[in-house]
Amino acid sequence: MQNAMSMILVAATGPWAAKTVAERASESLDTSLWAVAAYMVLALLAVVVLVTLLGLVLIYAERKIAGRFQCRVGPMRVGPHGLLQTVADTFKLLLKEDIIPTRADQAMHLLAPFLCMGATVLIIAVLPYSPTMQILDLNIGVLFVTAVSGFGVMGILLGGWSSNNKWSLIGAMRSGAQIISYEISATLALLVVVLFAGTMSLRGIVESQEAGWWIWRAHGVGLISFIVYLIASTAEINRTPFDIPEGESELTAGFHAEYSGLRFSFFFLSEFINMFIVSALAATLFLGGWMPFHIGGWTTFNNVMGLIPPSLWFAGKNLFVIFVIMWFRWTFPRLRVDQLMRLEWKILLPIGFANLMAASLVVLSNFYFFPGK
Amino acid sequence: MSLVDFTDIRMEQRAVAGVTVPVAVVPRIKNQGYLSRILHSLKGLLEGMRLTFGYLVHPSRIVTRQYPENRETLKFPERYRANLKLVYDEKGYHLCGGCKLCEKACPNASIRVLNRKSPITGKIELDRYIWRMDSCTFCNACVLACPSSSLEMGHEFENAVYDRRLLIYNLNRYAGPQAEVMEKLDEETRKQAMEPRDAYGGPVPLAGEELPNIVPVRVDSPGNPASRPGQGSDA
Ligand code: SF4
Ligand code: SF4
Repeated sequence: MQNAMSMILVAATGPWAAKTVAERASESLDTSLWAVAAYMVLALLAVVVLVTLLGLVLIYAERKIAGRFQCRVGPMRVGPHGLLQTVADTFKLLLKEDIIPTRADQAMHLLAPFLCMGATVLIIAVLPYSPTMQILDLNIGVLFVTAVSGFGVMGILLGGWSSNNKWSLIGAMRSGAQIISYEISATLALLVVVLFAGTMSLRGIVESQEAGWWIWRAHGVGLISFIVYLIASTAEINRTPFDIPEGESELTAGFHAEYSGLRFSFFFLSEFINMFIVSALAATLFLGGWMPFHIGGWTTFNNVMGLIPPSLWFAGKNLFVIFVIMWFRWTFPRLRVDQLMRLEWKILLPIGFANLMAASLVVLSNFYFFPGK
Repeated sequence: MSLVDFTDIRMEQRAVAGVTVPVAVVPRIKNQGYLSRILHSLKGLLEGMRLTFGYLVHPSRIVTRQYPENRETLKFPERYRANLKLVYDEKGYHLCGGCKLCEKACPNASIRVLNRKSPITGKIELDRYIWRMDSCTFCNACVLACPSSSLEMGHEFENAVYDRRLLIYNLNRYAGPQAEVMEKLDEETRKQAMEPRDAYGGPVPLAGEELPNIVPVRVDSPGNPASRPGQGSDA
């Protein structure tokens, strides 16, 4: 046991090369099983802490920012400037009664929130936070992310269906239709970057942006796919202006109308973590991930930029995208169902396809700013 | 997308059935192409985002007040409407002649004006002005109806009480003629003409009763002696 503790200490403080936790674990497989266990515990702890912190911080930030966007101040009472409001709310949710409707499909009803949360946590494990902070790097990272995020819709559909409530069912169905539709556009936008980088591994994509970020290196193609991705993924995480699955005014709360207490908070939390994931992906694929702002050839400038630690770069870009998504939410009105479908199938999808064609032309002719190595 | 263009409305004179009438011409929206429509909507969205960002970066736009903390320094907007008050001139005479127009104007029957024949002047004058705060919606109709501007909506809004009978009370400090009539009387008669009235005397539910352990909140301005009991009124 002591061995494990010291391994955690070493893992947390020791010098890190650009390696993922999974790689370290498999390396130490030959020497000591304890080290492998320690790395697993470390990874698990990191995910749990990250999810908890993100939940607390993002919900507080959302409420504060929403307040300012609407000429209010947001939570002010619990703690200085309402800092402890989310903590208090969390305790309240934990203490609430967990109600299962009598006619509900019990097993499914219990399972749904965990599916939702599970999909979210799986993605957190593959995101590159900095050269040394990544739990697992898959060579099919982008594919994994799109596939697993599609898995979250299962939780929503199950939850809506098993609640045995018409509003829940309508909400879940809307959500299914919406997520499946917008998944196409989001994937098309991601494919553009995969084309540029020539790899699906998230770390590989970040490293391919050393000379410049993909959003501006490819003559507008990157910018367009960034915008398409931002719109499509906002729809995928069911946030305003695409929140028709919840539609408070029409469906009371949509798929989670029958959930309370802890299970409700799982849905709620996974919504916010999904927002983080979407911004993290946007930052990784289009804004260079943890890669500092580099301009190919300007060595001094690049070195100065390199002084800022990569994890800060990642956090900054991430926060920026999160802020933009919140900005959307507190500015735009909700779309109607038909408008939602028209936006996807008649506008985003054609643009996405055209953009993908243009991207392949760019790649074929190797016509980037700063073609690099 | 709307079918007509509201930004481009023109006024025109048109002959309809031999008469020339003014018409507002609302043009249909021109058929836009695919791309220009997208750009048009994007422009609108960006404009909205610019507006909300303006709110975000300008703390002066915040309208929220931290109420109990800033109780002493509360500022009220000009048209803020809370408790109904009778207006008193600088000598302390009200302006109400007892015409009961406010009583008629009130949609909720929240006002009852009781008049009496003055023992001094022999004319009709205000005896009690009874206001039911519990059924008042603060619609301002009574204030607008009053021909002598003797009513106003004040700023006292802390009205929580432990007994709802406390919400029905007299507004006038004295029974007697209004300022206009007072001017014509000499100093001595004026004093005789005024009979003091307190908030909970007369035909209100509380009818002068004292409620044990209940200190009602202040309803009138501090300068007004005829507040509710416990506020130095002459009950
Ligand atoms: S404010 Fe309206 S409801 Fe209240 S007393 Fe006056 S007229 Fe009646
Ligand atoms: S307050 Fe005005 S409207 Fe009401 S009885 Fe007096 S003078 Fe008439």
